[in-house]
Amino acid sequence: MPKVEVPLEKWSGKVREVTLGGSGGRKGLTVGGEATLPFLSFEGAMPHPPSVAIEVSDTPASEWAAPLRQAWGDALEDPGAWAKKAAELGADLIVLRLNSAHPEQGNTGPEQAKAAAEKVLAAVNLPVVVLGPEVPEKDNEVLMAVSDLAAGQRIGLGYCMEKNYRTIAASCIANNHVALAKTPIDLNLAKQLNILISDVGLSADSIIMDPTTGALGYGLEYTYSVMERLRLAALVGDKMTAMPMFCTVGEESWRQKESKFAEGVPPTWGQHDRRSLVWEQITALALINAGADIVVLRHPKTVDAVKAAIRKLAG
Amino acid sequence: MSSQKPLHQVVFAPEGRTVRVPHDTLLVDAAAQAGLFIDIPCGGQGRCGRCQVKVEEGLTTHGESPYLSRQQMAEGWVLSCVCRVASDLKVTVPPKRERERAVTTASRKAAAPPLDWPVSPGIHRFSVELSPPSLEDPTTDLERLTVALTRRGGFSSLEVPLPIVQQLPVTLRRGDWRVNAVVEQGPTPERARLLALHPGHEPCPLWGLAVDIGTTNVVAFLVDLESGKILGQASSLNRQVARGEDVISRIIYSLKGDGLAVLQRLVMETITSLIAELTAPRPADSAHIHSVVVAANTTMSHLFLGITPRHIREEPYVPVTNRYPVVRAGELGLPLNPNAAIYTIPSIAAYVGGDITSGALTSGIYKTPALTLFMDVGTNGEIVLGNADWLMTDACSAGPAFEGAGIRCGMRAIPGAIEDITISSKTLEPTIRTIGDEPPQGICGSGMISALSEMLITGVISRSGRLNVDSMGQRMGERSRVRRGDHGPEYVFVWAQDSGTGKDISFSEVDIDNLIRAKGAIYAGIEVMLKSAGITHDMIEQVLIGGAFGQHINIEDAIQIGLLPDLPWERFKYLGNTSLSGAYNVLLSREARAKAEEVAGKMTYLELIADNSFMNEFTAALFLPHTEIDKFPSVKVLLEQGSQ
Amino acid sequence: MALSGIEIYKHLPKTNCKDCGFPTCLAFAMKLSQKSVELSACPHVSEAGKTALEAASRPPIRLVTLGGGEKKIAVGNEVVLFRHEKTFYHPPGLVVRVKDTQSLAEVEKLVAAAAGYTVERVGIHMGLDGFAIENASGNGAAFLKCVDAVAAKTTLPLVLMSSDPAALEGALAKYADRKPLIYAANKDNVAAVAALAAKHKCPVAVVSRDGLDQLSDLTEAVNKAGVEDIVLDPGARDFGGTLRSLTQLRRLALKKNFRPLGYPVITFPGDSASSPEEETLLASQHVAKYGGIVVLNQFDPSLVYPLLTMRLNIYTDPQKPIQVQPGVYQVGTPKNSSPLLISTNFSLTYFAIAGETESSGYPAWLLIVDTEGQSVLTAWAAGKFDADKIAKSVKQFDMASKLAHRSLVLPGHVAVLRGELEEALPDWKIMVGPREAVDIGGFLKRSWS
Repeated sequence: MPKVEVPLEKWSGKVREVTLGGSGGRKGLTVGGEATLPFLSFEGAMPHPPSVAIEVSDTPASEWAAPLRQAWGDALEDPGAWAKKAAELGADLIVLRLNSAHPEQGNTGPEQAKAAAEKVLAAVNLPVVVLGPEVPEKDNEVLMAVSDLAAGQRIGLGYCMEKNYRTIAASCIANNHVALAKTPIDLNLAKQLNILISDVGLSADSIIMDPTTGALGYGLEYTYSVMERLRLAALVGDKMTAMPMFCTVGEESWRQKESKFAEGVPPTWGQHDRRSLVWEQITALALINAGADIVVLRHPKTVDAVKAAIRKLAG
Repeated sequence: MSSQKPLHQVVFAPEGRTVRVPHDTLLVDAAAQAGLFIDIPCGGQGRCGRCQVKVEEGLTTHGESPYLSRQQMAEGWVLSCVCRVASDLKVTVPPKRERERAVTTASRKAAAPPLDWPVSPGIHRFSVELSPPSLEDPTTDLERLTVALTRRGGFSSLEVPLPIVQQLPVTLRRGDWRVNAVVEQGPTPERARLLALHPGHEPCPLWGLAVDIGTTNVVAFLVDLESGKILGQASSLNRQVARGEDVISRIIYSLKGDGLAVLQRLVMETITSLIAELTAPRPADSAHIHSVVVAANTTMSHLFLGITPRHIREEPYVPVTNRYPVVRAGELGLPLNPNAAIYTIPSIAAYVGGDITSGALTSGIYKTPALTLFMDVGTNGEIVLGNADWLMTDACSAGPAFEGAGIRCGMRAIPGAIEDITISSKTLEPTIRTIGDEPPQGICGSGMISALSEMLITGVISRSGRLNVDSMGQRMGERSRVRRGDHGPEYVFVWAQDSGTGKDISFSEVDIDNLIRAKGAIYAGIEVMLKSAGITHDMIEQVLIGGAFGQHINIEDAIQIGLLPDLPWERFKYLGNTSLSGAYNVLLSREARAKAEEVAGKMTYLELIADNSFMNEFTAALFLPHTEIDKFPSVKVLLEQGSQ
Repeated sequence: MALSGIEIYKHLPKTNCKDCGFPTCLAFAMKLSQKSVELSACPHVSEAGKTALEAASRPPIRLVTLGGGEKKIAVGNEVVLFRHEKTFYHPPGLVVRVKDTQSLAEVEKLVAAAAGYTVERVGIHMGLDGFAIENASGNGAAFLKCVDAVAAKTTLPLVLMSSDPAALEGALAKYADRKPLIYAANKDNVAAVAALAAKHKCPVAVVSRDGLDQLSDLTEAVNKAGVEDIVLDPGARDFGGTLRSLTQLRRLALKKNFRPLGYPVITFPGDSASSPEEETLLASQHVAKYGGIVVLNQFDPSLVYPLLTMRLNIYTDPQKPIQVQPGVYQVGTPKNSSPLLISTNFSLTYFAIAGETESSGYPAWLLIVDTEGQSVLTAWAAGKFDADKIAKSVKQFDMASKLAHRSLVLPGHVAVLRGELEEALPDWKIMVGPREAVDIGGFLKRSWS
C-alpha cells in the first residue's frame, strides 16, 4: 500500500451528454458526460474530450484581423466554402454566425438566414450550430426560419436568453434541435435560465449553456471561475447546471486590441501574428481546463494547437 | 371501485342538513351536496385557509394545514377543501364572515409588549415634610431639602438644577414646607438628581415616554412609571418624510445648508405632536413626563440629537457614535419636564441601530440557548443571529417596495389596501381582501407578498417573475387579467369599476422585479450571515419577526416567494413592534437599560458591502422562490403539483 | 482545515474587551478565520486556546521565498483549490532558463533583455521574476562562470540547476546570500544536497519521477537535515501529467493536510513542448493549475505578455465585485447625434444596460463611471455615484468632443441628482431615464427621435 494516498472526490453527479447531429443524415457529435473535473482521469471518466468548433460568418467578415483574413482567404466570401475548408482543417463542428441579420449590419431577414444555413448544411456533413445576432426579436425571426429548414438534423440554435427563450426552446422541441442558452457570466443566471427552459418542456439533454466568454485580459478570470463553479455544482449532483458548456473563444479573443492590431500598440507586446494566436490559444485552454465542452475558434493554427493540447491532456 | 366505498353520514350544523357520501369525499363537496357552498378561492389546494369548518364528531383525513394553529386543529378545525370524510361526521360550518375573521386573526397576532423586568425605572417620588427654618435652625432652604431627601432616599449626593433652586423658596413656602420631590437615580445608586419639586402633597404622577423613531413612522407610549401601565399610544408619520423617503435621502438633505437643523426640528415637531395627543385634553400634564427612552435606527438617532449622519453613508460607514449622551428635555426643546432625561438606546453600526438593539432585547435572543434568527423587516431588513453565547447582525437594503413605494399600485397598510389575494388555480381569477373591507385602493406589503406567491403557485408568472401573456391570455379568453399594459405585461387584480380609485389595480413585470429584488436582498442577508457563521437552515431553532410590517406577513406566502427560509411554520413567531417594546422595557427598568448596553456591545456586525458573497447570494435569490429550489422543499412540492 | 469564525470564537475569552482592536471577540474570530489578522493580537487567549488555534492556522502549503535582493519570489501558502473559494494569493514566479553551454555573450544578452522587460496593463507593471541557470555542461567551473554572468546582469532571484553537489557548492559559496533555489535533490544526491541547503540556508527543490511516495520520502529526508523551505518537482512534464500531479499535490496539502507534500511546485513547460507557443500554452496552464515556479526556455515578449496577462487574471481577487473598466463604451456604431447614457461600473448593471440598449436598435454612447463595482442605487447610497463624479467623468472622457448635442441620460434611480448635475455641467441638458434597464428601449423611442 502506498504511503501517499491521493484524496479522490466521490462525485455524485455528472455532466449531461448532448448529441448534436446524428440524425437527418448528419454526422453525430456527443459532448459532455464528464464524471470528473477536466482530465482528472485518476478519478472519473471524461468520455468525450472537448470539441473544437470553427466559426463561420454569413458575411465576408471584413472587420476581422489580418492574420485571420490571410488564413481563410477566398473562403471568407462564401459560408459554404468557408465551412468546407473549416472541416478540412479539422473542425469537429461548424458554428455559423448570422451577422448580417443584425439591425446595424444589414438587418437581413429569414430568407437570407436560410440561404446561408443551407449553404453550410450542404457543404459539410458535420454537426452545425447557428447563432443569431443576439438581438432577441431578431434572433427569434431568423432562427425560426433556420430551425424549420434544418428540422430533424439536430442542429444547435442560439441564443436562448432570458428574454426570448420560450420561442427558441419551443422550436427546438418541435424540430428536434439543441438550444444554446446564454447568460452573462453568472452561475445563478445560468442555472435560472436552464430551469426556465426546462420549465417550458425542452429536455435537459437538448440544452448547451454558454456562460459568456471573457477573453484573456478581458474578463477571462470571471468566465473561468463561473465555469469552474458550474462544473463543480454539476458534479455534486445539481441537474440544472449539468449542461455541457460552449465558449466563443475566437470571437472574444480576436475582438481585443492585442489580437486585432499590429500597429499603434506598445512594442513590449511583441510580434502581432505570434501574440494574437497565443492570445486565442491561452483563452481556449484556460476555459477547457475550467470545463468547456466546445470551444469555438477562428484561426486554423489555434485549432491545431488546441487540438494537440486536448490530446495531450487526455493522454 | 368507487362504488364499493362505504357511505358515511355527514350532518352540517347549525342548519342540521344531512347527506350520505362515499368514504374519502372532500368535505367541501359533501357540503355542496347539502346545499352549503363554501368558497374556495385558491381552487381547492389548501392554500388560502378560507374554507375552515369545525369537525365536532367523527374521523377525517388530510385535515392538517399550516393555516391552522395547533389549538385550532385540536379543536377540530380543518380546511374543507383538502379534508376528506373517513367516518360519520358532525360538522359545523361557520358563516362566511367568521371564516374570514379566523384567517385574519390567525395571520395577525399582534402581542402587547411584555415587561421582562420588575418595574424599577430609577425615578422616585418622595413626599417629605421639612421643619421650617428658625433662628435656632438657620439651615438654608436648599440644604434643608437636600438633607431631608438624601436621608430619605439613601443617596450620598443630590444634584439640584438651578431652575429648581430659583423656584425653591416659593415652592417650599407655598406647600407649607411639605413637598413632593421627583428624583432620578444616577449611574450609581448613591448619586441622584432632583428632577421636579411640587409644593404640598397633592398627587403628582410619574410618567415616562417610550418612543420608536422610524424612518417613516414615529410611535410612542405614554407610560405610568409606577405601575408600568401604558396610559396611551400614539403614532404619526415622521415629518422628516417630506425631506426624503429613506435614510440616504435624509443624510444627503442633512448635508445641505441648515438641513441637519431642519431635520432635527421636524422630528422634534413630530414627537411634540405625539405628546400633545397623549396628554390631551390637559397639555400641561406633559410636565409629569420625567423620563424618555428613544429607540431608532442609527441615522434617526443621529438626527434626533443633531449629530451629523454624513459618515454613515460614506465608506467605511462609520457613525459619529453608537452610544449616545443622555440629554435633558429642555436642551432639545421638548415640552416635558425640562429636566427629564432622554436616553437613546445604543446602536451597533451604521445600518444597525438602537431599534435593533431594542428588538434584540425584546426578542430575548441574547438569553436563549436556542439558535435564533431575529429579523426586522422594513425599508431595511436587519437580521440578528445567535443565542446566549454569541450574536451577529447585518443589514440589507430591501428598498421601500414592501412599504408601497416603487410599486405602481403600492400603498401603505391603511384601510382600502389589498392585504390578501388568492388566485384560483382553475380559472386564474383572484379573490381579494382589503383592510377594513373597504373598496380596494391599492396593494400593501402583505398583499404584494400574497399576490406574488399566488401568481407563482398558479403559474401566472414564471420563476423569474415574467408573465406569459400569450398563453395566459389564451387561457383566460377575452377579458384576460394577464395582458400587455402601458407599463408592459401585467396582471389585473381589480378592474377599474370595482376599485376605489376608478382605475385598474394591477402588477406589472417591473413591479414584480422590484418585489423580487426586495425579498432577494433580505433573503441574501440571511444566507450570507448563516454562511459566515457556518450555520445551516435546519440548525435554526426559531425565527422571530419584529417590525411593524413583519406582523402582517403571512408566513406561508413569505416562504413561497423566498423571503423567509423554508422552515417548519411552528418555528416562526411574530413579536410586533419590537423596537418600541424594547424602549418600553428600558424606560421601566434600569436593569433592562444595562442589558441593552450589554447586548449592543456583544453584537458582531457583518458588513455586507464588504462581502462579495452577498452579490452572489443576492443573484441566487432573484428567482422564485430561489435558484436553489432544494432550499425550499415545501415550495418545490407545490410547484411540482402545480405543473402536473 | 480552516475553522469557521464561530469555531474559533469558542477558544477565545468571550469578554469583548476590544484589546485586539475589534469590537467583539466574534468579530476578531471571523477575521482570524479569514486569516486577515494574527492570533497574537489577542493578549488574553488561554494557552489551551492558543494550542488549539495555532494548529488549525498553520498554512497547509509552506510559503517559500527566493531571492536576497529587492525583488523576491514568494510562493506557496495557498488555501484553496479553486480561486472562487477565496483567492489565489501568491502568483507563480516566472523564470527564464539559461544553460552553461550557451556562450556567455548570448546569456548576458538574454538576461539583460529579460530582466529589463516590463509591460503595463491596467496600471500594473508586469515583468519576469528570475533566472534559472542549468549546469548542462556537467562542468562545475563552466556552471560558476555562467552563474557569474547572470548574477552580474540582474539582482532577480536565481534557480541553480545541477544534480552535482560540487557544482552547486561552488555557486552557493558565492551566491548564498541571494537565497537561490537549489534544484534539485534526487534520490541519489539527497544527503549531500540537503546538507548544502542547510549549510547555506537556501531553499531546495526535490525531484522524483517515481511517484509521490518517493517525493515525500525525499522531503522528509531534506526536512531531517534541518531544511524547511522546499519546492517540489513531481517529475511530470506534459499537459495531462502536470495537470493531474499538480492537482493531486494541491489536494493532498489542502484536503488531507499532508505535511510532507505541503510545498509549492516547480514546473518546466518547455521540456515537453514542440514549439515556443506550446511551451507558453502549457505555462499558462501551470499558472492556473497550481504551479509555484514556472521555468521558461525562452524569452519573447509576444509570448511573455500573454502569459503575464494570464497570471494577472487568475490572481485577481474574485472577492472583489465584478467590475467593468470605467470609460466610454459604444453600443452599435453611435454617431455624434446618438444618445449618451450614464451608469456605474458594476458588471451586471453594465451588461443589462448594454444589452437592452443594443436590442433597442438605437446606437448609443455609454459612459461608465467608476463606482468601485457598485450598482446604481448602492453606489448612490454610498456617495460613490454623485453629480461631481459624473461631471468629472463627462469631462475626463471628453464627451463634448464626441457629441454634437449636449444631453445626457441619468439612470431613473438617481433622478435626485439632476439639480446638482445641472449645476456641475451648466452646458448640458440632464434627462432622467428609466429606473429599469428593460425600459431603455421605450425611453429612447419616446425621448430620442
